Amino acid sequence: MTAGIPVVDSDAKARPSRPYRLAGPSWVVPVLLFLGFFFVIPLGANILRSLQTGQAATNGPLFYYIKLLTDAYYGGIIAETLKVAVISTVLCLIVGYPVAYFMVRFAGRWNTVIVFLLIAPLLTSIIMRTFGWRVLLARRGALTTLLFDWGIIPRPINLADEPFAVYLGLVHVLAPFMILSITAVLQKVDVRLEESARVLGASAFGTFFRITLPLSLDGIATGCILVFVVTCGSFLTMLLLGGGKVTTLSLLIYQQFNVAQDVGFAAAMGNLLLIIGLICLALQAKFLRRSGGKS
Amino acid sequence: MTLMGAMRASPPSTIGGASIGLPSAVSEHRTTTRGVPLQLLGISKSFGSVQALRPMTQTIEGGEMLALLGPSGCGKTTTLRIIAGFETPDHGSVVIGTHDVTELPPNKRGLGMVFQSYSLFPHMTVGENVAFGLKMRGVSAAERTTRVREMLALVRLTQHEDRQIHQLSGGQQQRIALARALVTNPSTLLLDEPLGALDKNLRERMQFELREIQHRLGITSILVTHDQEEALTMSNRVAVMSDGQVVQVGRPTDVYERPRNRFVAEFLGTANIVAGTVTAQAAERCWRVALAGEPGASALVQSDTPLAPGNTILLAVRPERIEIGPVVAGTMQALIQDVVFRGSYFAYELCVPGQDAPFFAYSQNRKDIPADRRVGLGWQPDNAIVLEDAP
Amino acid sequence: MTALATALPLRRRRRVRYGVIALALYVLLFLGFIAAPIVSVVAVSFSTASFIAFPIPGFSLRWYWRILEYRPFIDALIVSGQVAVLSTMFGTILGVPAALALARSRTTAAAIVSNLLLAPVTVPAIVLGLALLYFLSSLALGISFAALLIAHTVAGIPYIVRTVLSVYRSIPPDLEEAAAILGASRWQTLVHTTLPLVRPGVFAGGLFAILTSLDNLPLSFFFGSASTNTLPVVMLSYMENQFDPSIAAISTVQMLIAIVVLLIADRVYGIEKLTS
Repeated sequence: MTAGIPVVDSDAKARPSRPYRLAGPSWVVPVLLFLGFFFVIPLGANILRSLQTGQAATNGPLFYYIKLLTDAYYGGIIAETLKVAVISTVLCLIVGYPVAYFMVRFAGRWNTVIVFLLIAPLLTSIIMRTFGWRVLLARRGALTTLLFDWGIIPRPINLADEPFAVYLGLVHVLAPFMILSITAVLQKVDVRLEESARVLGASAFGTFFRITLPLSLDGIATGCILVFVVTCGSFLTMLLLGGGKVTTLSLLIYQQFNVAQDVGFAAAMGNLLLIIGLICLALQAKFLRRSGGKS
Repeated sequence: MTLMGAMRASPPSTIGGASIGLPSAVSEHRTTTRGVPLQLLGISKSFGSVQALRPMTQTIEGGEMLALLGPSGCGKTTTLRIIAGFETPDHGSVVIGTHDVTELPPNKRGLGMVFQSYSLFPHMTVGENVAFGLKMRGVSAAERTTRVREMLALVRLTQHEDRQIHQLSGGQQQRIALARALVTNPSTLLLDEPLGALDKNLRERMQFELREIQHRLGITSILVTHDQEEALTMSNRVAVMSDGQVVQVGRPTDVYERPRNRFVAEFLGTANIVAGTVTAQAAERCWRVALAGEPGASALVQSDTPLAPGNTILLAVRPERIEIGPVVAGTMQALIQDVVFRGSYFAYELCVPGQDAPFFAYSQNRKDIPADRRVGLGWQPDNAIVLEDAP
Repeated sequence: MTALATALPLRRRRRVRYGVIALALYVLLFLGFIAAPIVSVVAVSFSTASFIAFPIPGFSLRWYWRILEYRPFIDALIVSGQVAVLSTMFGTILGVPAALALARSRTTAAAIVSNLLLAPVTVPAIVLGLALLYFLSSLALGISFAALLIAHTVAGIPYIVRTVLSVYRSIPPDLEEAAAILGASRWQTLVHTTLPLVRPGVFAGGLFAILTSLDNLPLSFFFGSASTNTLPVVMLSYMENQFDPSIAAISTVQMLIAIVVLLIADRVYGIEKLTS
């Protein structure tokens, strides 16, 4: 069209593409260096430590792992860890689902209040909450007295230092996470699906089990895996409410560190805990991808 | 004297019923001194294996508004983003005035831009939005205030200076976006589908208002749009783009009346396309063409370039150029399928024997012809456009 | 009142109501369960008794005086505050630019780096603490304030990165392009456009990081010494030896501090904006 303008040689080397972007790749460098040095390397060193230090140096690199998985005592602790995690996950689901369902379907403007009350405990320390259960469950605690007055327990006894107290403490800390995971998904389930099921003659229970529950599976999965992983990693509740009757892997690491100082063994136990967590995350990723959900 | 200085010196005048805070003397002054030409010299761009823009050379004269018109993915937005500096061209260069700006970042190019979604800063008031470009250039607070007021007067939103962005309607946001783009006296104004988010009535009003402001300021402008009406209404020249290149460029009337090929004819308005074989020269610059599909039917076609008898060609005729009359032997015949009253004209859908697609004809006659009537179709020789495509 | 109830035929509404009331009572009971231990700790903190009993025999502030006298509590409170604020600050300085660079990048490398930045939150704190302690000891940083700070910064980065990533992704890129074409340099665009727009994300992430740091006992106890004990560490060791209401008092104080942090955040930036 426009004459007199030199034709550009298209064989010339293309100019490098530099699209306008505020932040360049170099902005990532500081945090990468920081985490590389203080996160990746320490965890890597921890793996080496579990394979090379102490008895692993003399009895073969996998010594500690074999000990953990085959020794009756440590195998029992791993089983206990998984048992506690599974039970507390199931308890959180049973206790929390009705609350989540109420929040999404019936709470209306009270929803914000309930969300606030669920999040508020995050402002208190976990020690405070555990201590609170000791107060309530002690021999002369309010809950113990109440249970005695109602004749549920024969005499005022210390209810703390029992597995029961551990589960109570775990559900107290973790049920809100379960509830919020479920509400996030339940909110997106169309009420009209439930309504049309009811109009078509399904009972309230039928509607719930055929429509609502299957559609909220994504939230349940997210919540369950979250509760499971956090339970595996926590030891304070077991330490302060279990009275030595509930020993899990995390608690053992804590005790090993405080008492035995077997560096290689502690590292191996930590890595085992990490592997359990990674398996859970992989499961979550797989489950959510299959059901087409987005994290 | 700067534009703003001139504006301050003279009272606002009323032009065409709308109050525009800019005396006409200034616009002439500005048209001659500002209005810098913009040249695209063989710019091209690929994203991976996709060639978004084939080498493109184009000059936009000072003070001119050029519309880049085409369907999505035709390369018009890529062109605009290369001019703005958001993308670098693989080859070629962008010259504003006499400066090669190809390597300059967007903030050093001295451009103004109105985005499709306006992109007003939600965390600033209207006034702060308009003042932003001045603040970035280190203009003093006092001068910023005066110039923001002048710009708000230009777009007739003086009272809205302290409003929040979300309190404005779509049309008001559009005008604030324009004020923000113009406050820094940019050499060139880039408009990326500027009216796309407005409803039809408002869009038509804004087309005229935007054109008027652009014309008064005499600022070189590039309008990217997929809306043919917007392109025809607002621009001095239209560049129709397809598949990463400019297919045809010219004044709106030229492009509409003389489309080069089928794509342009059909993208810009409606066109009835028919193939034919040149039989003989009928007069000077006028040939008789036997129409395909209907034995015996022929029509006269005017062409500036000589047509060789025996060649098959493709013709386009605009619906409003088609004349509906009684059936005459040797001309194109059609059956009226449907008649639609469109207010200022009747639209006829016609079934032409031997043609796959229906024909359309617009008639301004007060009385419509009922459906299922057989009619003859004709056109003036200079209303038939010979397309470059092979049939 | 509820969508479901009004949508159902009249005949059925009554039955649904009873179900909803039962469910509401259950939710109330659950919220009571959530509040119970916290309320009882606050109550016990005002007890006159030197043993734990609830309901309390009388009202006094003696346990609050006790924590003022007990140096380790106050020292640890100061350490906790310093670690929380400084680690969040470092986490912000490191995390925000990275999140801005990663949010709009669709390359595999960007996805891998994003996952790395979010990874520390998925590693149990006790494992991270153990690994970091041995590693930092080999650098002669073992038990020190610097080590504590590094550990808490690592743990805080994911919270900040996650919220900034999601907030920045919701901001249209052409706002920054608009700033650039109006003459703003990269730095000016960052200061005047991007940072004000991602501020809710920085605030929410920072708040999470501070609250998590204040309560992160599994990470802190590895780096404990007289001068580097955080409050939860001191509380735990105190509880292992004594069992008196001063723990309740210091817990209540810590809760009040967290509430004050939240109120300040609310004053500077609305809570609704933080949670949305």
